[in-house]
Amino acid sequence: MNPVMNVEEITKTYGKKGEKQYQALKGVSFQVQRGEFVAVMGASGSGKSTLLNILSTLDRPTSGRVEINRKDITQLRKNQMADFRGREIGFIFQEFNLLDNLTARENIALPLTLRGISAKRIDPLVTQIATKLDIMGILDQYPVSISGGQKQRVAAARALVHEPSILLADEPTGALDSNSARELLQTMAKLNQDEHVCVLMVTHDPFSASYADRILFIKDGKISHQIVKGNQTRRFFYRELLDALGTTSD
Amino acid sequence: MLFKLALTGIKSRFKDYFVLFSGLMAASLSFYMFLDLATNPQFLKSNVNLGYHYTSVIFGFGIVLLAIITFIYMIYANRFLLSMRQRDYGMFMMLGARNSRIALLIFLETLIIGIIGTLAGVILGFGVTWLVAKMIVKQLGLTITNFNAIYLPAVLWTFVFFICLFLLAGAWNSHKLAQSPVIKLLNEQQKPISLKKHPVLTAIEAILGLVLLAIGYWAMAAFQKLMLWSIPIALVTIVVGSFFLFDSLLISVIDWLRHRHQILYHRLRPFTLGQLKFRLRDYTRILTCVSILFALALGAITVGINFNTLKEQAKASTYYDGVITTSKVDLHKELSKLHLKKKIDYQYKVVSHQLYVNEQTLAANPPKTQIFYLKNGVQSYRTAKINYESKKGQSSEEFKFLFPEGLVVTSSHVVPAAQFERLKAPIKNVTYLQVHDFDQDYPVLKKIMLKQQRADPSQTDFYTFTKPVVYQLGLNIESGFTFMGIFLGLAFMMMLASMLMFKVLSGAPSDKIRYQMLSKIGARRSLLRRSMYQEIGLLFLLPGLLGVVHVLFGLQFFKSLIPQPYHEIWIPFLIFILLYGGYYLITIKLYDHLVIKS
Ligand SMILES: Nc1ncnc2c1ncn2[C@@H]1O[C@H](COP(=O)(O)OP(=O)(O)O)[C@@H](O)[C@H]1O
Ligand SMILES: [Mg+2]
Repeated sequence: MNPVMNVEEITKTYGKKGEKQYQALKGVSFQVQRGEFVAVMGASGSGKSTLLNILSTLDRPTSGRVEINRKDITQLRKNQMADFRGREIGFIFQEFNLLDNLTARENIALPLTLRGISAKRIDPLVTQIATKLDIMGILDQYPVSISGGQKQRVAAARALVHEPSILLADEPTGALDSNSARELLQTMAKLNQDEHVCVLMVTHDPFSASYADRILFIKDGKISHQIVKGNQTRRFFYRELLDALGTTSD
Repeated sequence: MLFKLALTGIKSRFKDYFVLFSGLMAASLSFYMFLDLATNPQFLKSNVNLGYHYTSVIFGFGIVLLAIITFIYMIYANRFLLSMRQRDYGMFMMLGARNSRIALLIFLETLIIGIIGTLAGVILGFGVTWLVAKMIVKQLGLTITNFNAIYLPAVLWTFVFFICLFLLAGAWNSHKLAQSPVIKLLNEQQKPISLKKHPVLTAIEAILGLVLLAIGYWAMAAFQKLMLWSIPIALVTIVVGSFFLFDSLLISVIDWLRHRHQILYHRLRPFTLGQLKFRLRDYTRILTCVSILFALALGAITVGINFNTLKEQAKASTYYDGVITTSKVDLHKELSKLHLKKKIDYQYKVVSHQLYVNEQTLAANPPKTQIFYLKNGVQSYRTAKINYESKKGQSSEEFKFLFPEGLVVTSSHVVPAAQFERLKAPIKNVTYLQVHDFDQDYPVLKKIMLKQQRADPSQTDFYTFTKPVVYQLGLNIESGFTFMGIFLGLAFMMMLASMLMFKVLSGAPSDKIRYQMLSKIGARRSLLRRSMYQEIGLLFLLPGLLGVVHVLFGLQFFKSLIPQPYHEIWIPFLIFILLYGGYYLITIKLYDHLVIKS
């Protein structure tokens, strides 16, 4: 079976030649299989966001390849990149997820309108995803008047409404209280299990990471090791994860 | 140290500041230009030797208007400055800089920018003033002489005015920033706006807006009935009406569109409309202001260009096109250039302060004059014969004034040819000229008058009432008005357009985040740009359109002053469309630079 995502030896160096340069990624390789929920964990400054920006075509790697659905995204032109993002990728970020001047409904519909899908088909699709994420009641409200947890659900709905190949999340629970964070993570895990949505989440928080099937640890721009959940419960996995962190932080 | 920090602040964001600088330069430039015109004594004296007082009052009024507009404009420019800097200042504060220090820093920065901008504007103003004055003079064939492009008092006052403004702005900025919590400075974008509005109230507001506008327009047209009342009525109703219209009708239309998903769900349209709705809430005041200023500016230019009643009235008020009173100069060359229709000769003699006119010459060509009357409240003239026969020995004043000595003689008499012969005095001649087309022959007629006047200065008073001189006077006053109308109009235009520009650009920092987000979810740049062009385009278009409607109705007001206020109206409209369009292009270019490119 083909992996959804295949990352080969990507490096990223910030700063122009001749100026002060900083290598944020020093050769990162991994694969994400269809239907997998993968977390990339690392301390602040370890290169997580840099990695995610490259995977999501927002930035280009200095070297290396990234394939999504067997397509090399590092070779795309600007417009192709934009189209690719609109078609294949869904995003959730820590903050600034929603457009504050659009209602929740319009926010969710945006990826569909951008792809030129007819208005008739958009409404049922929005309703469908909103039902799954339990946000039907707030669809006509503006982001300012809904809670942080609801905002991230709307963001998730927007990220998933066009059925992307992969959902990318950068610290999605970073700005949430623990209850809302747990709810969002449970929702993501459920979507992953029931709908087989493929998720790649970047986080520094072990609790969030424990919802994944597999965790990649990133340190100083490199993948240091990984742990797999396998058949154990999340609780045990969380403990194993904390143990792993305890041994590697020395 | 602080001074250096403020300077580096300016240096580090030079491109953003460039926008601000050019705006400030435009402001000080136009202010200086107008002040120069209004206070330049040589310009005023040589142009408007009659009605000097009246004209200077109007120029003064122009300066006051310009000062007010500059003031409002500075508020927007200042907001733009704040929007650019507040994150940086928030940062300084977070790092532990004292409030008072920051306040001083902001104050200094505002002042430095202001002084540099004013200086550059005034220096540029020298050249531009000279050029524009020359261009307008040439284009319109006006007669403006002795114009000083560099006039020290105007320079001084421009500086006084702008430095006062910047002191105010600096004080305001430092007060505002020092008062706000750091967190607010760092996340300025997150201000919730109340979006709920009662639909019935909105409908009432929209209807009220339309009704008020209708009343205002009616008040302008009904100047005859309302007289001076029509100005305050129109001003209040049109301003309030425009405000209501922007506040309700447009947003209702957008809301209506947003509920029609068939229309809404098309590419970036949800975003464009959402942006517009948010903007309109925030823009109601400035859009109202811009629409009114737009109307004033366009009106000033239109009226300025079409203000040719004085000249026309001057032509209509005298019957003959020219006169020859002296034989001391040779006028053969000039006369041969005229397209003469008629040349009328009257013979007279002056005997001991009494005027005697040869009846024979009068009978051959009965003298005529123009009589003033009101036609439907409009000043008009009609031609009438001067009745010289009725009271022999005691002729009318009008009749007396046909002759150069008419001003000094005690009485005048019309006598038969034989009796005229017998009078012991030299025969004098006065020759009246009529041409086919006064406008065409005006330069030659003027030359004839000037030559005679130079040869015989004692008759200057008599010439005052001849057509070329009256016409010249009307032309002079008109030139002043036209010049002022165009100048004020252009200055208003520049101010209002850059006001709008600054308002739009002030939103750039928060819009940047929105556009980045759209880009992340897969919107192509071209799509982002198109959305931006449409959004900003509408913000420019809406007040422009309303302003045009205001003008079209408002010109009714000038009907008594100008017979054809709508004559060649496309000229000022074209000028405006070009200028306004230019500002729009600059704005989207800068916006693109601030928001999408970076
Ligand atoms: N645009 C950039 N220019 C230069 N350095 C950058 C840039 N973005 C990130 N970095 C540096 O790269 C490193 C990794 O950053 P990032 O990927 O944001 O880390 P994380 O998300 O794991 O906290 C950091 O040391 C950061 O300073
Ligand atoms: Mg990060």
